[in-house]
Amino acid sequence: MILELAVYEKVEDQVKIAQKDLEQDGFSKNPFFHAIIAEVPEEHQTKDGHTKIGYSLYFYTYSSWKGRAVYMEDLYVMPEFRGKGIGKALMSKVAQLGLAAGCTQLNFAVLDWNRPSLDFYLSQGCWDVTSDLGYHCMRCEGEALHTLAQRDL
Amino acid sequence: MSTKYNLFYPTQSQENSQLSPSTYNKKELAVYEKMPDQVKISHKELVKDGFGPNPFYHCLVAEVPEEHRSKEGHTTVGYALYFYTYSTWKGRCVYMEDLYVMPEFRGQGIGKTLMASVAKVATEQQCARLQLAVLDWNKPSLDFYISKGAQDLTDNEGWHFVRFDGAALDKLSQEAP
Repeated sequence: MILELAVYEKVEDQVKIAQKDLEQDGFSKNPFFHAIIAEVPEEHQTKDGHTKIGYSLYFYTYSSWKGRAVYMEDLYVMPEFRGKGIGKALMSKVAQLGLAAGCTQLNFAVLDWNRPSLDFYLSQGCWDVTSDLGYHCMRCEGEALHTLAQRDL
Repeated sequence: MSTKYNLFYPTQSQENSQLSPSTYNKKELAVYEKMPDQVKISHKELVKDGFGPNPFYHCLVAEVPEEHRSKEGHTTVGYALYFYTYSTWKGRCVYMEDLYVMPEFRGQGIGKTLMASVAKVATEQQCARLQLAVLDWNKPSLDFYISKGAQDLTDNEGWHFVRFDGAALDKLSQEAP
């Protein structure tokens, strides 16, 4: 499903990690992430025979102004199961678990051309931090990250 | 002339003391970002969440010798706060939530060194990315990060940060199965 989400976001060549990385990072004593899976009964399995038809992956972050927060990295439901409230149920569950853990924010990112998702999230009561406050997401990776790390300290 | 400084991770007892290294710097950052009323958590909460077997964040602090202390008498003149995040495409990442240097100590490479130290932690922990956020009007910082090799994902790819908080977050959580 991670690959399917990458295809939807038009960047399928960007998926670089292996299943064993996911297993190690998600199930150690201090996991890097948590995931919730949506599963349907056998009789509703997909054309390819899958019963796990959606997921949400999240982790805890921190704001030095507001404290604990939860970041929803992925939210995905297979196309044939959309429009049934599964995406909303997954997202609500992350919100519930986040609040239980003492978080005051549920944060995530959406691509500006992804109108269906943006409209869905806005209809649920979230707000666009980038449009409203002007925050831009920035990233250092690959060679730029290694060059920065090697600077004489 | 550059001031000599060193970087260190404050211990829990240092953070608990009245002259906690990072607390006043965080409030100054909120003032710089024009949101001084947004600092809502207590010092006690910050200390609780930053120490223990599974801390929510890590904080690296820049300190100058006593003889170079700030006008107000502080020797802690800057900090970087970061935590680990995850990409299902690339694996472990680091997110630098805060980077701050007091105005009288800017232009001496302290911000660059703090950020490079966080990048070093990222590469040592096999993280594929160092990510952060910048306000679009904050040209000095935007230029600084781009000069260090950061890409602007909002401009280049259209990513927007979106948030649920307050009553909307409560309402959403009440709809969970």
